Amino acid sequence: MLAAIASATLSGAVGRPVSVEVHVSNGLPGFTIVGLPDTAVREARDRVRAAILSSGLAWPVRRITANLAPSGVRKGGAGLDLPIAIGLLVAAGELSPSCTEGFAFCGELGLNGSLRHVPGMLALADAAVAPLGLIVPLCDVREAALVRGEVAHGAATLADLVRVLRGDARWPSTPPPTGDNSAPDPPDLSDVRGQALGRRAVEVAAAGHHHLLMIGPPGSGKTMLAERLAGLLPPLTPAEALTVARIHSAAGSGLPDGVLLERPPFRAPHHQASIVSLVGGGSWSLRPGEASMATNGILFLDELGEFPVAALEALRQPLEEGVIRVSRAGGTVTFPASFLLVAAMNPCPCGEGVYEGACTCSAVARARYRRRISAPLLDRFDLVVPLCRPDPDELLAGTPGEPSATVARRVAGVRAAELERVGELELTPDASSLLASKLRAGGLSARGLHKVTRVARTVAALAGADVVSFAHTSEALSLRAGRAVVVR
Amino acid sequence: MALASMPSMGPARLRALLGEEPPADAWVRANRGGSASERDVARAWQRHTSLGIRVLLAGQPSYPERLAGDPHAPVLLFCLGDPAVLGNASTVAIVGTRAPTRYGIGVAAQFGADLGAAGISVVSGLALGIDGAAHEGACGAGAPPIGVVAGGLDHPYPQRHERLWERVASSGAIVSESPAGVPTEKWRFPVRNRLLAALSDVVIVVESRHHGGSRHTVDAAIDRGIPVGAVPGSIRSATSEGTNALLADGAFPVCSTGDILVALALTGASLAISQKAAGGRLLSPEPAEGVDRRVYETLTADPSSLDELVRVIGVDLAELCGSLERLAQAGLARDAGGWWERV
Repeated sequence: MLAAIASATLSGAVGRPVSVEVHVSNGLPGFTIVGLPDTAVREARDRVRAAILSSGLAWPVRRITANLAPSGVRKGGAGLDLPIAIGLLVAAGELSPSCTEGFAFCGELGLNGSLRHVPGMLALADAAVAPLGLIVPLCDVREAALVRGEVAHGAATLADLVRVLRGDARWPSTPPPTGDNSAPDPPDLSDVRGQALGRRAVEVAAAGHHHLLMIGPPGSGKTMLAERLAGLLPPLTPAEALTVARIHSAAGSGLPDGVLLERPPFRAPHHQASIVSLVGGGSWSLRPGEASMATNGILFLDELGEFPVAALEALRQPLEEGVIRVSRAGGTVTFPASFLLVAAMNPCPCGEGVYEGACTCSAVARARYRRRISAPLLDRFDLVVPLCRPDPDELLAGTPGEPSATVARRVAGVRAAELERVGELELTPDASSLLASKLRAGGLSARGLHKVTRVARTVAALAGADVVSFAHTSEALSLRAGRAVVVR
Repeated sequence: MALASMPSMGPARLRALLGEEPPADAWVRANRGGSASERDVARAWQRHTSLGIRVLLAGQPSYPERLAGDPHAPVLLFCLGDPAVLGNASTVAIVGTRAPTRYGIGVAAQFGADLGAAGISVVSGLALGIDGAAHEGACGAGAPPIGVVAGGLDHPYPQRHERLWERVASSGAIVSESPAGVPTEKWRFPVRNRLLAALSDVVIVVESRHHGGSRHTVDAAIDRGIPVGAVPGSIRSATSEGTNALLADGAFPVCSTGDILVALALTGASLAISQKAAGGRLLSPEPAEGVDRRVYETLTADPSSLDELVRVIGVDLAELCGSLERLAQAGLARDAGGWWERV
């Protein structure tokens, strides 16, 4: 007998529909799975057999063949356990074909017949489309319901599921969410004393989505500012949150309790991160990398100069196009990767290079350190700010600066105004002539001019002005003055 | 010369060897058991002549007079350019740190240019930083510059100064104790510094750190009774620690090119010194009032960070930046990599 069950498998962060066909016939008893299964799928044979037997169902002592169609696409993960088991039960006559008709299945089986969590459920639910609904492990039902709504059903064990399908029981109710959907609040900007330039830089970065590079000695508050930038970004829209959740789910980090997060993600990979961990990939199951996980949020690279050069260069494509294409012999996967890049680095190996004459590195060591940041990568940063250690008096006795909430309101105002505005803010004549004189003096490239103008517009928008003045333009120039520390 | 090309052959050993017997015998003795032959000697000679390197041997007329009486004079000196330059009436060494501030670079380049214009040869090590800046200033200023380097003359070192190297060689001379093909090794720098001091009438240190290499040059100069001058710097700057310590130890302070000329006992001579060197400065009209005035008054000749200026002046960052750009356009302030200073 033959049975065909709808399911899906994960390819990168995207689900692909899979039809699981099971054929049971007379012949030498055996169980084979064909259709490019990976190791986890091939091992499904033993899990499915044990699960069926522990659930008190009969195992057909006949020749069993499971085919995963389309057979040209690689299938990975244990999510295909459940459709294989259901297909087998139908083909063996344990279940009537009519009761599985119109359902899609996704889930991993335990040897005791329990249904277990599958990573990437959001993306799988996108692809496993069936008219009557999608059946998943009970713990994943809330996540699947985010895209499939009421047609997502869950079951705790294979035996329960068979009872429901036979009509002997009803669908179990979805467990209520246990936690809340808000991650702990990021630290507040008012903790940062002094640092007028640094505070301003994170505000402008948040308001205009400008990539930010902070250059300063150890202890100048680079990491502190970057962590607080996350609290300045407006909350994610439901569509953005779903994109983020899809990637995080596919990467296996899951959603807490199957609820969408509103806070933009903040990812801070360590500087020894490999290219694959940063941009995604892997030999057989292509996983999203840190850059994709930071989509609609912040990718913070501390100690930029210590990252492998190849890993940094690999970030140029996502910075340009907002996506990462990972190509392997088995195929190409596109991950979304539109993030706000925030980076921090020391000016030189000893860290004191921002202060004139304080650096004790040799000229060669300095040059070598700076070569690690290629000019094209440096060009991607709209804001390059030099930071200094705060004044001790200010650190101990200074008044706290503006809290995150106030700044975040300004940022949200700018973003909202940006959506309504027709055209762009105009530059005043003296602002244009300032830029022209910088261009002529060779202190600004054509690309630099474009970036400064963009930043100046954000500065003007933050001030609530309707033209970009001389002062706004000057500030924009100061917000990239750190380039002088890195370029030669 | 072949002897000098041997590995680990320092000037002192070479001197000792050649002091005992004629070069040919020394060669045979040193080469005992070695594989080098007469052909190698000829090949080495050929190599130097084809590169345009002259070989000056102690005792010969072309050998610089300044080194003739020196107790540690090199037996052999290799020279690219005109060796007669080494006999120039007055020479001043300008040395300093390889990681200077812009202050140091500016001062070194100015002294180089002024001295060159006054017909005084600038001697320096062609290194990165102060040495290079002094030569940059001196090249084309008038008097032929002299470079004293540590490695062989066939490879410009440091590579970044290749063009400067060529300019100094064509307008003046570059000398070294190392034959062509000898790599620039660490131990050769202090040895080179002794030669640098010996070839100068006055040694000026522009900026140096506490334990900088300039100290070797200064010690060599003191041993030879050559006057040493130092350019005073900020007591907060690490790059001025060495020079300020020298001043405390009795080096004469150098605040203008005139001070160097006094040290050279040349002040009586009619010299073409630029107005800048004499300390004259054209004053720009200062801003009348408002924020610009306050910003201008807060700025000092030492660079200040924007954070500091915001804190002291207490204005909005945009207003401050606008004011600084206006001052810069008026030529009253200067942007130094995100820091600002008064001009």
